[in-house]
Amino acid sequence: MKRITIDPITRLEGHGKITIFLNDDGSVANTYFQVPELRGFEKFSEGRPAEEMPQITQRICGVCPEAHHMAATKALDDLFHVEPTSTARKLRELLYSAFYVTDHTTHFYILAAPDFVMGPDANPAERNILGVIGKVGLELGGAVINTRKQNHWIIQTIGGRPIHPCFGLPGGVSRAINEEERAQIEEIGKQSVEFGKTSLKVFDDVVLKNKTYLDMVLSDTYTQKSYNMGLVDENNKVNFYDGKVRVVGPDGKELCKYAPREYLEHIAERVEPWTYLKFPYLKKVGWKGFVDGVDSGVYRATPLSRLNAADGMATPLAQEAYEKMYSTLGGKPANFTLATHWARLVELLYAAERLLELSRDPEITSANIRNIPTATPDEGVGIVEAPRGTLTHHYITDERGVIKKCNLIVGTTNNYAPLFMSIRKAAEDFIKPGVEITEGLLNRIEMAWRPYDPCLSCATHALPGQLPLEVTIYDVQGNEVKKLSQGV
Amino acid sequence: MKTLVLGLGNPILSDDGVGIRVVHEVANQVRSSEITVSDTNVAGLGLLDSIVGYDKVIIIDAIQTERGQAGEIYRMGTEDFSQTKHFSSPHQINLATALELGKMLNLVMPKEISVLAVEAEDITSFSEECTPEVEKAIPEAVKMVLAELRCQTSS
Repeated sequence: MKRITIDPITRLEGHGKITIFLNDDGSVANTYFQVPELRGFEKFSEGRPAEEMPQITQRICGVCPEAHHMAATKALDDLFHVEPTSTARKLRELLYSAFYVTDHTTHFYILAAPDFVMGPDANPAERNILGVIGKVGLELGGAVINTRKQNHWIIQTIGGRPIHPCFGLPGGVSRAINEEERAQIEEIGKQSVEFGKTSLKVFDDVVLKNKTYLDMVLSDTYTQKSYNMGLVDENNKVNFYDGKVRVVGPDGKELCKYAPREYLEHIAERVEPWTYLKFPYLKKVGWKGFVDGVDSGVYRATPLSRLNAADGMATPLAQEAYEKMYSTLGGKPANFTLATHWARLVELLYAAERLLELSRDPEITSANIRNIPTATPDEGVGIVEAPRGTLTHHYITDERGVIKKCNLIVGTTNNYAPLFMSIRKAAEDFIKPGVEITEGLLNRIEMAWRPYDPCLSCATHALPGQLPLEVTIYDVQGNEVKKLSQGV
Repeated sequence: MKTLVLGLGNPILSDDGVGIRVVHEVANQVRSSEITVSDTNVAGLGLLDSIVGYDKVIIIDAIQTERGQAGEIYRMGTEDFSQTKHFSSPHQINLATALELGKMLNLVMPKEISVLAVEAEDITSFSEECTPEVEKAIPEAVKMVLAELRCQTSS
């Protein structure tokens, strides 16, 4: 097959594209994948006061604005050489935990559950949250809506505004909480923990007790032995808000553990001629192509990677769930892409427990919420775990704090290479000569993509709602054989 | 009739912000306690959260279609959402699904929905302004929203 270059003009339309080219005999010759790349952010931010970045960057993504707000706020701490107060740290982490509860809940019930509750071959008209609620019951459906609503209230209360917090400042936050608010947050924390437990039970009943699904999870098609990245605290436990970035290999060995300022020593970007997307990889290991294994610098930054990169969860029920997961999957690290959905639920429970824990912290209602910066700003890096992967904000400013340069690595960007590899493997394993290409089959290819839950700003529209995705298959003459479009 | 005029989009992604630009103009010209004008850049379940409790919702958003010209305005009404149209399919909680979900869970859902969609040129470059053809469409879209609001208050 001759080399195909994807014309940059075809990248428009704001949706994801998986393009598969077949050989003569109907087997897969090549697979390509594109997502719309947002352009010009660096230029857009030049000349702006860095303190605006928590407000601006959260507009980049309609799905995880809180993550950008938090990474930007931490970058400001670093930029202005100021530590947040203890209460401010806790308030930030409290808000962030509530955010994780809402986000992981949304992903699991909207994106993941349909494949498992309804089945990958189910009628598309039923393979969605309506079908899920039809099967698991209205009560659970109500709990999904309610959990999100309550945790959004927490975000609004601490963060000052629904969805788009406006509370992050260098050295602290802009608002303290009172006892009444704290008590309400504690109540929500308790209910969220129950919901987290329920969700894990749903997974257990629907996936783990179903041999077909468990086999799918453990199958070679959905296995990828890449490095794992995630933030860990000083005990190497998963932490979404703060810590160091730890990278652990598919063999379980720690490769590195770095502080935010050191990220450029560890991560580089690969350019490929067939796409404008750049693929981050681990410098220490080097780029060896789109392959997995300990010798390839490809790494993943997903809920599963976070659990793989850590030594455990910092809260008891989540730790129990973590242990059960790994014992079922045959040990650590787990390289099964579909198990990402499971890891997400373990994280959901952790976020709820952490939320409850922080709501009971004696300092949480203190008025000591800010250290005023006094140093001259120059350069700052802030890293948090966004639900979809490690999120890095890096600003360079002049002495007034006006942005000269900025670099962002968003959650999904970390995963471009492994995402492509997962899709390609599924395409090659499922599309075989003589096998009819059904909608169910294409859905199984998409099941390789869903665990990553790519986060893109185009998920803001009324009609598509989530990332629209198009899978197109061409025969050796270049004729379109099959197309599956969602929300395009 | 409790009405929500909701602009959807991203205010820093060029034409993706057209919905927000339109509702800001509408807000300047609407004075009624029955009408709430708001904007958001969440969709899916977040959209459901926004529209619960209103009798009528007018949504303004950007869209990209295969053959559309930048600045064209399309209108879709309640009749387009009354059946579960497969605007998308599994896993995507689009507006039609959000409405059905709300009904399923006995939430108070709007009885009237309309969507005004403006054809966008560029939704992937960072900018606080729309492209020229889309900028030109903003006053027209504002007029359409106000006309629709006037229709209901006079009936």
